[in-house]
Amino acid sequence: MLRSCLRRGTLRTLSVRPLNPALSFPRAYSTPTQERVPLRKQLKQEAKFLRSHKKQRKEDEEASRQEWELTVGVEIHAQLDTEAKLFSPATSTSDIPNSNVALFDLAFPGTQPEFQIATLLPALRAAIALNCEIQPVSRFDRKHYFYQDQPSGYQITQYYEPFARNGYVDLYAYDGIAPEDGDRVRIDIKQLQLEQDTAKSQEYPPTTQLLDFNRVSHPLIEIITMPQIHTPATAAACVRKLQSIVQSCGAVTTGMELGGLRVDVNVSVRRRDAAAGQHHYNGISGLGQRTEIKNLSSFKAVEDAIIAEKNRQIGVLESGGVIEGETRGWTIGSTETRRLRGKEGDVDYRYMPDPDIPPLIIGQDLLANLNSTLPTSPDSLITLLVGAEHRLSIDDAKPLIELDDGARLEYYHDVVEALHTLQADQDTATRASLGRSVGNWVLHELGGLLTKSDRAWDAEIVPAQSLAHLIDELQRKRITGPTAKLVLATIFDGDRRPVSQILEEENLLLRPLSREEYVALAQSVMALNPQMIEQIRSKNQLGKLGWFVGQMMRTGEKGRVEAPKAEEILKELILGPAV
Amino acid sequence: MSLLREAERCVANQYSHNFNAFITPLARAGQWLDRVREADERQEQGTPKSAVDGRLISVKDNICTRDLPTTCASGILEKYTSPFNATVVDRLEAAGAVVAGKTNLDEFGMGSNSINSRFGPVKNPRRDASGEFLSAGGSSGGSAASVAADQCYASLGTDTGGSVRLPAAYTGTVGFKPSYGLISRWGVVAYANSLDTVGILGKSTANVRDIFDILNEHDHRDPTSLSVFSRERIQHSLHNPQLTSRLKSTPLRIGVPVEYNVSEMTSSVRRAWAHSLAHLKKQGHTIHSISLPDTKHALSTYYVLGPAEASSNLAKYDGVRYGTRAEGPDGDGRPDGYLYANTRGEGFGQEVKRRITLGTFSLSANAIDNYFIQAQRVRRLVQKDFDAVFTAKHPLAAHGTGITKDNDVDVIICPTAPSSPPRLSDLMDKSKPKSPLEGYVTDVYTVPASLAGLPAISVPVTVSGEQEAELAGIQVIGQYGDDHLVMKVGEMLEGKHLD
Repeated sequence: MLRSCLRRGTLRTLSVRPLNPALSFPRAYSTPTQERVPLRKQLKQEAKFLRSHKKQRKEDEEASRQEWELTVGVEIHAQLDTEAKLFSPATSTSDIPNSNVALFDLAFPGTQPEFQIATLLPALRAAIALNCEIQPVSRFDRKHYFYQDQPSGYQITQYYEPFARNGYVDLYAYDGIAPEDGDRVRIDIKQLQLEQDTAKSQEYPPTTQLLDFNRVSHPLIEIITMPQIHTPATAAACVRKLQSIVQSCGAVTTGMELGGLRVDVNVSVRRRDAAAGQHHYNGISGLGQRTEIKNLSSFKAVEDAIIAEKNRQIGVLESGGVIEGETRGWTIGSTETRRLRGKEGDVDYRYMPDPDIPPLIIGQDLLANLNSTLPTSPDSLITLLVGAEHRLSIDDAKPLIELDDGARLEYYHDVVEALHTLQADQDTATRASLGRSVGNWVLHELGGLLTKSDRAWDAEIVPAQSLAHLIDELQRKRITGPTAKLVLATIFDGDRRPVSQILEEENLLLRPLSREEYVALAQSVMALNPQMIEQIRSKNQLGKLGWFVGQMMRTGEKGRVEAPKAEEILKELILGPAV
Repeated sequence: MSLLREAERCVANQYSHNFNAFITPLARAGQWLDRVREADERQEQGTPKSAVDGRLISVKDNICTRDLPTTCASGILEKYTSPFNATVVDRLEAAGAVVAGKTNLDEFGMGSNSINSRFGPVKNPRRDASGEFLSAGGSSGGSAASVAADQCYASLGTDTGGSVRLPAAYTGTVGFKPSYGLISRWGVVAYANSLDTVGILGKSTANVRDIFDILNEHDHRDPTSLSVFSRERIQHSLHNPQLTSRLKSTPLRIGVPVEYNVSEMTSSVRRAWAHSLAHLKKQGHTIHSISLPDTKHALSTYYVLGPAEASSNLAKYDGVRYGTRAEGPDGDGRPDGYLYANTRGEGFGQEVKRRITLGTFSLSANAIDNYFIQAQRVRRLVQKDFDAVFTAKHPLAAHGTGITKDNDVDVIICPTAPSSPPRLSDLMDKSKPKSPLEGYVTDVYTVPASLAGLPAISVPVTVSGEQEAELAGIQVIGQYGDDHLVMKVGEMLEGKHLD
C-alpha cells in the first residue's frame, strides 16, 4: 500500500510537470507540423530530459547554497480534534451548512464568549508532544481585520501571552531532512497559541458569495517555529514531522491533504560571506529581509515554494535589487511565488486583549494527568521498531507508524503477539526475526492486496490471528511462500475458514518431494534447453540456473516444489556433486 | 392605585408626552394587560412575586428583547430584533415586571446628551426658566426621561462612563451604577465591555434597590459576571465588624476629593455639593478632604479605552448576517473589495464614526503603546487612588494591606455633573459648531468610578437659587462591592431641599 502510494504520488507529480513552462519539453514533440516521433522514443527522450534537468537543478541549487544562506521559519494552523467550538457551546458535527452555529459564532449583538474547556485538552497534548513549556497563565486577544468569513470583525487568538512556549522538534535523517543537515537537526518552537477558525466562503462571481459558518470558532492551534531551517527539504520535513506529531498525540485528525492543516512559511536569504543582515525575527538576528508565503497546502508545495522564493530573492539581490517585506502566494505546479500584498498593504491587526475573556489558568494536576496518558511519540516508536525487539528497517517502521492513523501499527502488534504465542516452542534466534517477517506481510503483502482492490484499511479483512497462523505455517516450512500468498489472498477475498482448514481442504500443505522426484523433475526441465546447460557448464553462468528453477516450480506439482531444494539438485546434476 | 391603573397611566403618558424617550413604546393593548391584572390579584392575596410584580420597567434600547426591536439608536440596527432576551430582561419578567418599551439613547451608548440617535434627540421633561427644552443627559437619556415623565415605574439603562448617573442628575431621578460584574451583561450590546455596566433608574433609591436585588446574581453566560465564590468573598469582607457598624453605631466618614473642585463647575452645582455635605455633617457624620491625584488623567484615559473597545466591538456590524444593508452592491465592485464599506458608512452616525476612528488609531501598531497601553496603566492608578482612601479594602484584591489609615473614608460625595443640563437648542445648533471635547467634560465626575468599577449613585437634591430652586445631581461613590452602603447614603440625600 505504502509503496504503491508513493508511486502514485510520483505519478501525480509527473503528470503535472508537462504543464509547467520551465520544464516543458522541446516544442518539436508537440507541434503537429513535425514528423511523428515514435511514442517509445518520445518517452525515452522525455525521461532523459527530466533526468538532466533534475541534475542541472541539483547542481544549481548546490552552487547557490554555497554562496547564499537560506533561512526559513514555519507557521502551521491545525484544526484541533474536538467537536466543541472554542467559545460557544455549538458542536461542529454536521455537514449541513450553517447548522452548527451559536449566536456568538455569528457575532449577534449582546452575545459573549463562553470558553469550552474540552478544546484545551487536544491543544495541551500537542504542546506537550512538542516539548513546550505550558504557561500557567495565558490570555486571549482580538486580531482585527474585515472579511466576510470573520463575523465579529476579529479573530480571537493568543498574541501577547500564548499558552505554550519554547518547545522543539527533532528531525532525523529518516524524516527526510536535507543531507547537509546531517543525522539530526533540532528546530525550536517559539510558541503555540489557541485561536478561532473562520467561516468557509464560496465565491460565485460576479455577485454571489455563500458563507457557511459551521467552521467559525472551531479551535485551531498555531505552531510557530523559530527561523532555524536552512534547506527547503528540511522545511518540508519539519512540516511533515509536526503534522505527524500532532496527529499521533491525538491533538489533530485531519491532515494537510484534507485541509485540516495550513502552512505559512517565511523566507529570507543572505550572502554567506557578507556582513550579518539587518533583520531579526523571533529573537534571531543577522537575517536578510524576509517575505511570507501564505497558505501552502501540501508538503511538496512547501518545498517547491521555498525553492522558488529563495531563487527569486537571490535573483533580485544579484541584480542589485532590494527584497521587499511582503506577503506572497503559491499556486501548485507553478515555478514562481506571486506577490499578494506589500508592506504598505499590510493589515494592522490592532491586537487588543479581549475584555470579555478571563485569563486561562492551567493547573499542574491537569498537565501531570495529560503527560501520563500521552501516546508514545513517533520517534520513540521508530526507535522501538528498529530496535532489537522488532528489527524492522527504517523504511518499514515509518509507514507502519504513519499508515491508517496508527491502526496498521496496532494490527502489526496484534500479529506479532499472536505469532509469539504460536512460536513459543521455537528458539530465540527464530523468534527474534519474527518482527521483520510480520512487518513485511502487514505492509507489503497485505498492503499490496489492499491497493490492488482499492480497499481502505480494516483490521478485520484478514484477522490478525489468521495472518499469524499463516506466517507460523510458513516459518515452520509447512507451506511454501507462494502458497502463503495464495492463502492470504483467499482470506482477503472473504474466506473465513481457519487457516489450518484451508490448507487441509485445499491440499496446500507442503508434502516434500523425494530426492528421486526432484531428480526426475530436474532432468525433465534440463532436457528443454541443453544449450543453456552447456553455457552454464562451460562459462559457469550460474545466473541461468534460475530459469531452470522457475521451470521446475511451474511444471512440478503446485505448492510442493521448494526453490532452494530445486536449485540444489540442479547444481548437482549440471555441475556435479559439491565436493 | 391598582397596578393596572398605574400601568395604564404610564402607557398613556408614553403617548401623550412626547419627550422622544421611547424608540419603541409599549402597545396600548397587549398581553401585558393580563400579566398586570394577574399581579394585581397576587397583590391582593398578599403573594406578589417580587417588589416589582406588575410594574412597568422600560429598557434602554441597547439591551436585547425578543418581543421588541433592539436598535441601539443606530441606523445599522434600525429594524433589528434580537432572537433572545438579555438575562436582565428575563430576570425582571420572571419577577413579574413588564417591559415598558425600549428607550432612546445615544447611538450604542456614545454620548452625554442623548442627541446622537437615529430616532432624534431625547427631551428632558424639565425645561429651563424660559421654557426651553433641556438635554436629558446621555447616553441613557430616554430611560431617565421615561422615569421622570412617569412613563414607567423604573428603567434599565447602561453606564459605561456615567451614562446612567448623568441623565439621572439632569432629569432629577435616581440613577445607580452597581459594581462592575454584579449584574449580567449577557444580551447587553457592548460599547466598551470592560466598563459597561447595567444601571437602574427610578424615582427613589428604594425602587432602585428592589430592582438591583433582583438582578444581582451570577450568570454563567456572561464571562465577566462575578462567580458565586467571588460574591461570597465580597460578603465575607463586608462582615468585618468595622464595616457592619457603619450607619448603625458609628457615623460615616465622608470623603471630599480636592481634585474634583474643577473650574468648569457652576455655582449652583457647587452650592448643592456644599449643602449636601453640610446636611450630612449636621446628622453627625464627618467630612474629610481626600486626594485622588490621578483624577486629572481619568477623562482622557476613558476616551482612549472606551473608543478602543468600541472600535473592536462595532466591527461586527456589516449587514451580512443581520442589520441594515446599504442599497445596491457594496464593496466598489472589486473582487477583493470589502462587502460592507457603504453599509457601515451609511449605518453609523457621526459620533460613532468618530469613536471608531479614534479607537482604531489608538490600537494601531504605532500608537498602541502610547495610547491604549498607557491608558490601561493610568486606569490601574485611578483604581489604586480609590483603594488608598477607602476604609474597606478592595474585597477581590490579591494583596490587601488590611491597614486602615486615620483619614480613610467610607464613601466619597461629589457632584454627578459639573453643570446643569444644557439647552437642546444650543447642542443642536449647527451654526455654533462645538468641539466634541466640550461634551466629554460633562463626564469628568462619573468616569473615575467607571474606570475603577466602583458602585456609584446619583440622587437629586434641590438648593435655592438666586431666582428659583435649582436641581442638581449629587453622586455617592463607594468601595467595590459596597453597593448597599452607597444606596443607603444616597437615600439620606435623595430629594432633599437644602438651604
